[in-house]
Order: sequence, then C-alpha cells, then structure tokens
Amino acid sequence: MASTRRLKPKIMAPRKHGPEFSADQTWSALSKNIREIQKHNAANLSFEENHRFAYNMVLYKRGDMLYSGVKQLVAENLKELATTVIIPAFPTGTNDPTMQSAEEEVLLRELRKVWDDHKSNMFRLGQILKYMDRVHTKAANVPTTHEMGLSLFLEHIIQPPIKGHVVNAILKQIRHERDHITINRSTVRQCVDVFLSLAYDNTGTTIYKRDLEPLFLEESKIFYENEGRHLVDSCDAPEFLRLVEDRFIEEESRTDHYLTSQTKQPLLQILEDNLLTPHLSSVISKENSGLDVMVDKTQYKDLYRLFRLCSKVPTGLPTLKSALKASIVRRGKEINQTALGEDFGDQDDKDNSAGQKDVKGKGKAVAKSSGIEPAVKWVQDVLDLKTKFDTVWKDSFNSDRDIESTLNEAFGTFVNMNDKCSEFISLFIDDHLKRGLKGKTEVEVDAILDKTIVIFRFILEKDVFEKYYKGHLAKRLLQNRSVSDDAERGMLAKLKVESGVQFTQKMEGMFNDMKISADTTRDYLEYVSKTTAPVIELNVTVMTSNAWPMTHSASPCSLPPVMEKACKSFEQFYLSRHSGRRLTWQHSLGNADVHVQFKARAHELNVATFALVILLLFEDVGDDDVLSYSDIKEATQIEERELKRHLQSLACAKFKILKKHPAGRDVNSDDTFSFNNDFSCPMKKIKIGTISSKTENSEERKETRDRIEEERKHQMEACIVRIMKNRKHMTHNDLVNEVISQLSSKFSPEPSAIKKRIEHLIDRDYLERCEDRRSYNYLA
Amino acid sequence: MSTNEGQNTASDSEWVRLQSTDGFSYLVKRKVIQASGTIRNMLDPQSGYAEAISKICEIRERGIIVEKLVEYMSFKTYHETAKDEISVNLNEFLERIPPEIVLELLVDLLHLVERTILTDGFPRTGYLQQIIKRCDGTKYD
Repeated sequence: MASTRRLKPKIMAPRKHGPEFSADQTWSALSKNIREIQKHNAANLSFEENHRFAYNMVLYKRGDMLYSGVKQLVAENLKELATTVIIPAFPTGTNDPTMQSAEEEVLLRELRKVWDDHKSNMFRLGQILKYMDRVHTKAANVPTTHEMGLSLFLEHIIQPPIKGHVVNAILKQIRHERDHITINRSTVRQCVDVFLSLAYDNTGTTIYKRDLEPLFLEESKIFYENEGRHLVDSCDAPEFLRLVEDRFIEEESRTDHYLTSQTKQPLLQILEDNLLTPHLSSVISKENSGLDVMVDKTQYKDLYRLFRLCSKVPTGLPTLKSALKASIVRRGKEINQTALGEDFGDQDDKDNSAGQKDVKGKGKAVAKSSGIEPAVKWVQDVLDLKTKFDTVWKDSFNSDRDIESTLNEAFGTFVNMNDKCSEFISLFIDDHLKRGLKGKTEVEVDAILDKTIVIFRFILEKDVFEKYYKGHLAKRLLQNRSVSDDAERGMLAKLKVESGVQFTQKMEGMFNDMKISADTTRDYLEYVSKTTAPVIELNVTVMTSNAWPMTHSASPCSLPPVMEKACKSFEQFYLSRHSGRRLTWQHSLGNADVHVQFKARAHELNVATFALVILLLFEDVGDDDVLSYSDIKEATQIEERELKRHLQSLACAKFKILKKHPAGRDVNSDDTFSFNNDFSCPMKKIKIGTISSKTENSEERKETRDRIEEERKHQMEACIVRIMKNRKHMTHNDLVNEVISQLSSKFSPEPSAIKKRIEHLIDRDYLERCEDRRSYNYLA
Repeated sequence: MSTNEGQNTASDSEWVRLQSTDGFSYLVKRKVIQASGTIRNMLDPQSGYAEAISKICEIRERGIIVEKLVEYMSFKTYHETAKDEISVNLNEFLERIPPEIVLELLVDLLHLVERTILTDGFPRTGYLQQIIKRCDGTKYD
C-alpha cells in the first residue's frame, strides 16, 4: 500500500495569497491608489494589485473598514470638487441676459463635469471592489459601491446651495429660450439627465421629479399666465393663434430635447390652462380679427389653426361652436332683415326705422320688378352663406361632424326665424323653374336646386312649404310656365327623397291630372270636330279637387254667351264619359288667346280668362266710349279684388290695352276705362301677364297661416286618433310626446294645441278621460 | 456580465496576453477571458487601469497553472452554448489536469473565474464540482 502511494505524484498545496496580511497596510496602499484614481491616474495603477487589496481585506473580514474608508474617500473627493469646481461657477448676479446665460451654462457644464468625473471614478472603484460588493455589502446590509456613489453625490452635491443654483440655472436657461435667446440645449439636457438618473430615497422618485419639475411647472404657469394676457392684449387673433401654436410646438420640442417626456403632459396642460383656454373666447370674438373676420377674409389657414388649438382643450370646441353659431345666426338675421326690408312694408316694427325709408324710396321699383326679388335674394344670400361656411368647414375644420351639426343647427335657427322662409324657398324654386333655365345648363340648375334642398332641410314647418310649393306648382302647370318638365319632376324627386312619398303624393297627382287632361282635351277636340264645334277652341284641365291647392277662390263670373256655350259643350262631353262626377269651373285659373284689331295692326293677346271677359265687354262699345268700374263689375260679377287686379294688368301694366281715366297705378272704384285703339307694339303676339300677388301681403299671409293652422288641427286630430286606435289606452304625456314625434317631419306642434285637440276629440266621443284624470281611452 | 459583453463584442477577436510569474505568457482572444469576471474587469478598456492599457494581465501563478486556467476558460467559452451536460465531455478536460496541481488550480479558479460559492464554501458550478471530485479521488486513492 505504502509503495503504491509513493508512486502517486504528490499533490501540491495551493500557494498562499498574501502570507502576512496587514489590514492597515493594505488600506493605506489602497486608499493611496483610490486617490490616484480620483486624480485620473488609473492608467498607472495595476488593477490586479488593487483588486487583490480589496479582495484580501474582505477575505480577512475587514470589509467594514474597507467600506467606510472608501465611502469617506469618495465623500472627501466630492466635497473638494464642489468647492473647487462648482462653487466658483456660481452666478455673479450680473444683469446682462447674455452674460447670465453664459454663466448659467458654465455652471451647468461644471455640474455635469463633476458628475461625469464622479461616475467614472465610481465605475473604476466598483470594478476593483467587486468582491466587496459581492460578499461584504450583502452580509453587512449596506448599499453597493454604485448605490453608495449615487447617495454620496446626492448628499454632497445636490444640496443647498449648489442644488438651488443649478435648478435656478436650468429654469433661467429655459426662460431665456422662451424669450428667444439661443441657449445651449445639450448642456441643459446633460444636467437634466443627471437629475433624472438620481433617485431620491429609494422610492424611485427622481431628483428631477422632486426638485426640478414642480418648480419648472410653477414657473411655466406664471410665465404663460403673463404671456397669455400679454398676447391677447397686443396681438390680433391670427397672430395670437400663430404664437400660441408656436409655443405649443416649442414646449413640446423642449420636453423632447432637454427635459423628459414625463413632463410633457403636465406642461402642455399648463399651456392649455393658462395660455389657451382663458383667452380662447376673447380671441374668437376679437373685434377686427376674430372668427368673423377670419371667415370673411377666407383665412382658412388661420381658421384651421384655430380649430387645431380648440381641439386641444375640452372647452375649445364648444366655444368655437357657439361662436360659429352666433356668427351664422347674426349673418342670417342680417339676411332676413334685408329680405324683409325690401318686402312690401309689412315688416316687423323693430326694423322700421331703417327699413321704412328704404321701402318708400324703392317702393315703385320693387313693385315694377318681378316682385319675387326679396325671396330670390334671400335664398341666394342664404345659399352663399352656406357655401361660405361649408368651405370653411371643409378647408379649416377637417370636416368635423360635430361642427357640421352646429352649422346646420345655426342655419336652421335663423332660417326659421324668417317666418316667410318656406314661401321664399318655394318662390326661389318657382323662379328657377320658370325662367332660370335660360342661360343656365341643366347641370347648373340642378346644382342650384340641390342647394335649395339644403335650405329646405332647415325648415321646421315643412307643411307650410308644402302648401306654398303646391300653390306655385299649380300656377306653373296651369299657366304652362314651367320651362322643363324634367326639371319639375327632378325637383319633385328631390323633395320625395327628403320628405317621403306622403309629402309629394298630391303634387304627383297634379302632374297626373295634367297628363289625363291633355288626353281628355284631345278626345274632346276630336269629338267636337265631328259634331258641332263651338266657336272657341277649348282646352280644359280637369283637376282632382283634393290634389290641387284651392287657394284660388272660385270667384263668380258671368261669362259671355259664347264662352258659356263652349263650357257647356265640354261639360256634356266629359259627363257623358264619366258619370257621377261634378265639374266646377275655375275661371280664375284659366287663360285665353284672343285676336284684337287695333288701329295699327292686329295683335294676338294672351290674357287671363277674367281679363278676356273684361275685354269682351269692350267689343261692343265704341272706341271713345268709356265703361265705369261699376259697369264692369256688374257685367262680369267678378269679385272686387280679382277685378282690380285684372283691370290693373290690362290698363296699368306694360301693355296698355285699356285706358284708365284718370291714369294712375292703382285702380279705384270710381275710375272709368276705354279701349286703347292706338295701342302699338312691335310684337304680334303679346302676353298680358296678370299682376301676380308675388310674395303675399300680410293679409294673404294671415289667410294662408289660418288655413295651415286649420289643416294642422286636422292632422293633429288624425294623428291622435291613429295613435289611440293602436294603443287603446295612453297617458296624456305619452300621447303628446308621440304626436309631437310623429308630426315632427311636418311641423312642430305645441303641446297646448295638442291638448285642445284631445279635448275636442273627447267632446266628439272619440276618446274618454280615465278615472285617474291623466290618461285616455279610445272609444271605438 | 451581459452588458459588459455587449460592449466588448467589437473587440472580442482582439488578442490579450496573460503572463505567469515565471515568465510564461499566453495570447488569448478577448472572448475567452470573458469567462473570468475578474480578468475581464482587469482588461476592461473602460476602467483604464494599467493592465487594460497594456493589454497584459499578470497572473500571480506558475506557468502550468496559467496554462490550465487558459485551457479551462477556453473550454468553458467553447461549451458556453451547450444545451445539456451530455454534450459536454468534461473528462476530455479533466484528464489533461495533472493531479498534483489540481488543488492549486482549484483555488485559482475560485479566485479568478467562478463566483458562485455555496455557503459551506463549495462551488456550485458543474465543472468545478467535477474538478473537486477528481481532486478528491486523487487524494484518497
């Protein structure tokens, strides 16, 4: 056994590391070296040696001595750096901003230098003290070298007065940049980075968060409060918006470039709260440069900027929207006033002062012109306004849906403020369908009508519009004034799309009647050509009574025998084909072609039926004989108002077929008339237009109103019955709400009116009140 | 370790010199000395100590120990990506260790290379345990 063991090679004992270890000696050597490291002389030192020193000290249980020694050395070094490097760089308190800025920059740079120095020292120390960090610090429950370095830096450098000066310098640098003095951003950034990398008390809160950010935000707040006040006083709106937006961009780039993204949100919030929000409404409403002016000057870019800024803050868009609305309504009111001012003097009292003079001055001119001018102008103005704001909306407001609805609401408000809006729109369409096609391509007319539909949408009382439109359509159809059937039908189709079949049903009925009447007339002419044809060639339109608006009162009229005969002839023919129908002649709606021999030449006149009846009276009298007004009235039996109108159109209008004595514009009951034999005109065929009632006067309007009110009563009743028939039992409030919602497409009924209708229906035993006095039963 | 490695990848293929007390010197790639935290720190250009600047690292051991140390580090670096122990043929390395230096080498490795030491003073690392076993075997056989 022994011999075999001897054969085996002997295991060598490991060499002893540092045979005679002395902690004090080692430390003195090591501390000397650490000082050398702090003097940037690491290159002359052996890593291995220092590592071994530290290793041995820990190994021989002298870790605490090593640790506290290192700590002391680092602290001493920092103190020295503070006194030799940073404190001399403290600002001297000069007043020159450029000098100040330079001084601050130096201070910040020095702080960064000390930090860099300290960091690289700690890194080197950390490497040779690795063994201590691994073995000693954990056991002794003290921070590692790296952490110790940070906390020592905090303790000795980030301390008053250094901290105060540095923070101040950073804030001042930012202030300088806000005042548009160029600063060295990277210096500030480096300093801020130091603050960011230092945590306070292990809580994770950085020094930046604790010591710099609150001050910075406070300072920003004060700055922007003042800036906001200053800007709003000294700049016009576009300038203000531009500067404010620049501020936003600047601050954002500031946080990106040399602060931290954590600050971005609160900082921008400060800008919003102090620079933008408080001044927004005053900027929007600025007298000579605010929203209104920007819209007028088509400053779309500025408006877009306004929109962008408004979108940033919660109160922005509502402010913008209400300003937009106010602006539109104000403009709309102006349009309304112009339209009413040019009207025939039945405007409200409030615009009398300015409007009245105007009317008197222009009175004649307006009366002579087409008479629908205010209506056309009003619609055109509204359309222009709409186009204007649509452009703004599209170009500047990003086609924002919310704003669109605001615009529509505003337009709706002022359009409905004009209680003639329905009539005006209908007249506008009438005008375009009657003559607008001339000189305009079909596409253009279509575009105009499309726009009209846009305004139509704003109208709340669609039933009023329906009424007027039907009236105008009837006139166009009967007088054959419509230029294009396609355009008519196109318009009808548009209305149908907007408001449903119900709305246009009767109008379509009118078209239908026209078509059937044409057939009937053809058949009739064929029929009479075989038998005894009356002297007058008759062209009849048979209108279904409920489809056509019977606003034209069936004014009585005694026809001359020759006309009477023709009518009878048609009546006979028609009733023989359709038994059980009743024909009522509406002479007031007809017209006639008549050959008249004047002294100079014969003319073919196209006149209204009533006018023809009047003219025929003069057939038998001598050239110089006169007929008095009362004679004519007696002979024709035409209602006074109609008679006056037709006499006016024959004697006072452009073509004076009759002479009125005395001459004048208005027909009075003591006037006399004679046939104007000297009449001459270059054209053979003359159309004598009836002086139409144009826009209605107040009396007529009242009448129309009353009729509409009457119709509404029926509609409400019908609606109530319809609902109750379905539900059998309903509370009062539910019923009222249901009626309002069902009728809202036509008009907006008043609850009190509905209540009246309900009472009326109870009287008529359609409904009964229940015991609880709050609900109703339907009685079958 | 990972961050330092990341920084040094550029110079991984750079040669550094390890010197023994009796005048042997070994040229190894920087990648290999990554296996030892201490030697790596010593030669870390960032720290700027004398060794890092001269790229010469003095190991206070005999040449034979330094040789085995370099061999161990190469072995470890080579098998760094090994997925399991089977693919690592440790015996290949162990057989080349002369038994008489095994204890000396072990202390050295503990000092310079491996850091994880159990509380009872024994290394946790797989390779070292094998070496310790081998060392035990030599002792008692």
